Amino acid sequence: MSALILGISGFYHDSAAAIVRDGEIIAAAQEERFSRKKHDPRFPRKAINYCLSEAFVEADELDAVVFYDHPLLTLDRVLKTVIATAPDSEEQWIKAGRSILGTKLFVEKYIRDALKTDVKVYFTEHHASHAASAFYPSPFEEAAILTLDGVGEWATTTLGIGEGENIRLLKEINFPHSLGLLYSAFTYFCGFKVNSGEYKLMGLAPYGKPVYADLIREKLIQIKPDGSFRLNLEYFGYLDTDRMTNKNFAALFGGEARNPETKITRREMDLAASIQQVTEEVVLKTANHLRELTGKKNLVMAGGVALNCVANGLIEREKIFENIWIQPAAGDAGGALGAALLTAYRKFGARRKYNPTGRDTQKGSYLGIKFSSAEVRAFLDRHSYPYRQITDKKLWAETIGTALADGKVVGLLCGRMEFGPRALGARSILGNPLRAETQSVMNLKIKYRESFRPFAPSVLVEKCKDYFDLNSESPYMLLVAPVLECRRNSITDSNTENENLLEIVNRTRSDIPAVTHVDYSARIQTVHADDNPEYYSIIEAFEKLTGYGVVVNTSFNVRGEPIVCTPQDAYRCFMRTEMDLLVLEDCILEKTNQPQTEKDESWKSEFELD
Amino acid sequence: MTTLFQYHPIIGNLFIPNLKARIEHESGGYLVRVNEAGFRSEREFVKEKSEGKFRVLLFGDSFTAGDGVSNKYRYGDVLEKILPDVEVYNFGLPGTGTDQHYLVYREIAKEYEHDLVIIAVQVENIRRVAARYRLTQTSEDGEVFLAKPYFEIDSAGNLELNNIPVPKEPLKTEDLPEAEKSFVDQGGRMLWLRRIVGKMGGSVKDLAQQISNYQPLPEYDDSTGREWTLMRKILLQWTDEAEKPCVIMTIPLYHYVEETASPENYIARFEELIPCFSNTILHNPLSDYYAVPKKDRRALRFETDIHPTPKHHELLAESLAQVIRQKFNSNAQGASAE
Repeated sequence: MSALILGISGFYHDSAAAIVRDGEIIAAAQEERFSRKKHDPRFPRKAINYCLSEAFVEADELDAVVFYDHPLLTLDRVLKTVIATAPDSEEQWIKAGRSILGTKLFVEKYIRDALKTDVKVYFTEHHASHAASAFYPSPFEEAAILTLDGVGEWATTTLGIGEGENIRLLKEINFPHSLGLLYSAFTYFCGFKVNSGEYKLMGLAPYGKPVYADLIREKLIQIKPDGSFRLNLEYFGYLDTDRMTNKNFAALFGGEARNPETKITRREMDLAASIQQVTEEVVLKTANHLRELTGKKNLVMAGGVALNCVANGLIEREKIFENIWIQPAAGDAGGALGAALLTAYRKFGARRKYNPTGRDTQKGSYLGIKFSSAEVRAFLDRHSYPYRQITDKKLWAETIGTALADGKVVGLLCGRMEFGPRALGARSILGNPLRAETQSVMNLKIKYRESFRPFAPSVLVEKCKDYFDLNSESPYMLLVAPVLECRRNSITDSNTENENLLEIVNRTRSDIPAVTHVDYSARIQTVHADDNPEYYSIIEAFEKLTGYGVVVNTSFNVRGEPIVCTPQDAYRCFMRTEMDLLVLEDCILEKTNQPQTEKDESWKSEFELD
Repeated sequence: MTTLFQYHPIIGNLFIPNLKARIEHESGGYLVRVNEAGFRSEREFVKEKSEGKFRVLLFGDSFTAGDGVSNKYRYGDVLEKILPDVEVYNFGLPGTGTDQHYLVYREIAKEYEHDLVIIAVQVENIRRVAARYRLTQTSEDGEVFLAKPYFEIDSAGNLELNNIPVPKEPLKTEDLPEAEKSFVDQGGRMLWLRRIVGKMGGSVKDLAQQISNYQPLPEYDDSTGREWTLMRKILLQWTDEAEKPCVIMTIPLYHYVEETASPENYIARFEELIPCFSNTILHNPLSDYYAVPKKDRRALRFETDIHPTPKHHELLAESLAQVIRQKFNSNAQGASAE
């Protein structure tokens, strides 16, 4: 039976759509890429349109539409929380109630209004969607499943098992006890945006020392040997206010939360290091328990906390499981994919088809929109933007590889857009990892973001072990591993209280300094020729010129902007920043040839800082 | 957000070849597939006719190209289902006028072996043939003016093609030379008023039309006016040049279909052409519209978008099928107008 299922997530953050046919993933995309509003929570109308376009089907050809979360169960949790915390929770109730009663409960109406069809609409539970997104695309016939996030309906953590087409959730930890919300509380307290800045907090952690870790364990979270935990709710604001922490939390850590965009002090660095250490402890204990509970040798993960690639790297290095696979769209966006897959297998009897190569069926997570060379040229020709079309694939890769070897920064839009928060070589900015100044130049002149944030390496999968202490593939940039000791430079830091992040960043820590974080770690993307032959060929060309099969890869956007989607987005971003070269499919544009635009900085306020 | 068109130095725009897209729309969305030749079609165009097929080359604007509906619901495609021996090559191009359709025929289409040419004149095209720019929305530039080719009649009474190659750059309002502002097709008269009424919703727009009996196309009032003179000359030259029989089909605006404005003048203008035709038929399908009960005619367009609904396309296909059945020997041997 052929079943075409559309999955949808939304109304909280990172709304998305995904479409699967008989369990095979056809397309998936986040709404933010089309709407140009980062973490867009609105009904994913444009992402749905894209998915139907990619499948090239009419809406009435769908067998089902499925929403990733159960609105009534969420309403149940909100109501019970409000009652338990009344009257202090009035403010919170107004906000959450508006979201649920105003939108989520009427998901079915949104779907029918958008598609003008009476297709059957289903709902799955939030963590079941995450679990499905982790298990079904993985290469494993059987696996233990771990989902961790802020909150779904009630669950915040689930432990489960996947076998063939079946998924069972065995244990769960419920709201308000949430590892995701604990991490978000520190994100908020350190002056970053919740549901967005968690990644920054993780990047900041290596600059600090975990001096508050014991205090966190003592006052905020009680961790049991099996990894289960309880939070001390006296320190958090998310139950009865719209803030993550309260005055008790502030008192515990020596004063008020840091105001966004103010100087990052030693306190924030140490808080970041401390909560990272506690998070890793919970994740590792939970993973150990899950291994015992299920007896499975494979682990799959999803949920926002599964984007904590430092913790993921630890699970990998500790060898708790023989193999690990993490859904690249681990956050709520991936829920759309999970919901569609779960419905395909549970309700429509799809049978799993494994990748004959033994790899996953996520297709490199290149599940988004692609623009043909003709579409690119239609845009460039219309505006008379100078470009060179290079149809010879070898010459194309050599041209880009040479630019990188010369220290140029390259914007790359090629192939289907990535699904998930990481750019994997389809919508990426590339740089030369051998140059010490690459990190600060790319941060401050191209990304316009905080100087402390590290960049990731994309390395040819076969060459990974030449640079990093990593024994598995990391195609989705979800594992952090150390740079090999033999590549490191020894740096003696006499001033351990230094708060000048730029100065710290610019020290040359290895022979690939631009991708070596302050603790000698790297957030690795291994590039496989099967997943993205074009990107692979660029790195290969760079290797021929420099001897290094690794490049700097960061997402193609500026701070606060969703990753670029179209050639138009890419050109705009290219012209606003100090990138040198732009690659739009087989068309290559040099900055120096482009028409001069008036120096207008007003666009910087176009995207709200994240 | 999808860019559907690419620049063409003579025609102005063509679809981007081999495009597959779904367009968000009040109907729930529709699918667009473009062939290698740059036209919306489920098939590639080939020079030689398929054996046993009666090939029709169809020209028109967005009503013919099928804005608002998937390829399979367009009247050209439906016509093939009604008359299985007929093969329709649909050269419809949104946002264009009859002048550009003639150029499509001259530059591209006439090379394809065929039995019949159908020129679908959406009656509003009279405004476009007289325009040098068209107001349009693009994904990257917002509302801009795009230049188009245009004809003028020279002192010897011949058509003279201008604006070739068509300027590429989209122009913002402030970039448009003052002298050119009267040559812009804004999709109708009184743009500001249409925008206000449009924002108030479909029902307000309908009510306003019923009360005002607004005549959308006064350009047909005068048989010697600039716009009609151009349209007349283009149609006569085209049908004269064509080596195969032609059908000119006038597609009415909803004002005429729903009888809130009189079609009398545009009908009169087109009928004045009949004595000049040798191998061409004028087909006015208005009687087929009037065969639909008046209360049901509103369903021939969308709630806010005036383009034809699938029901409307069916009506046009049936109407054309009658003409082809009655007037042409629709088989692979070719055809001639009776």
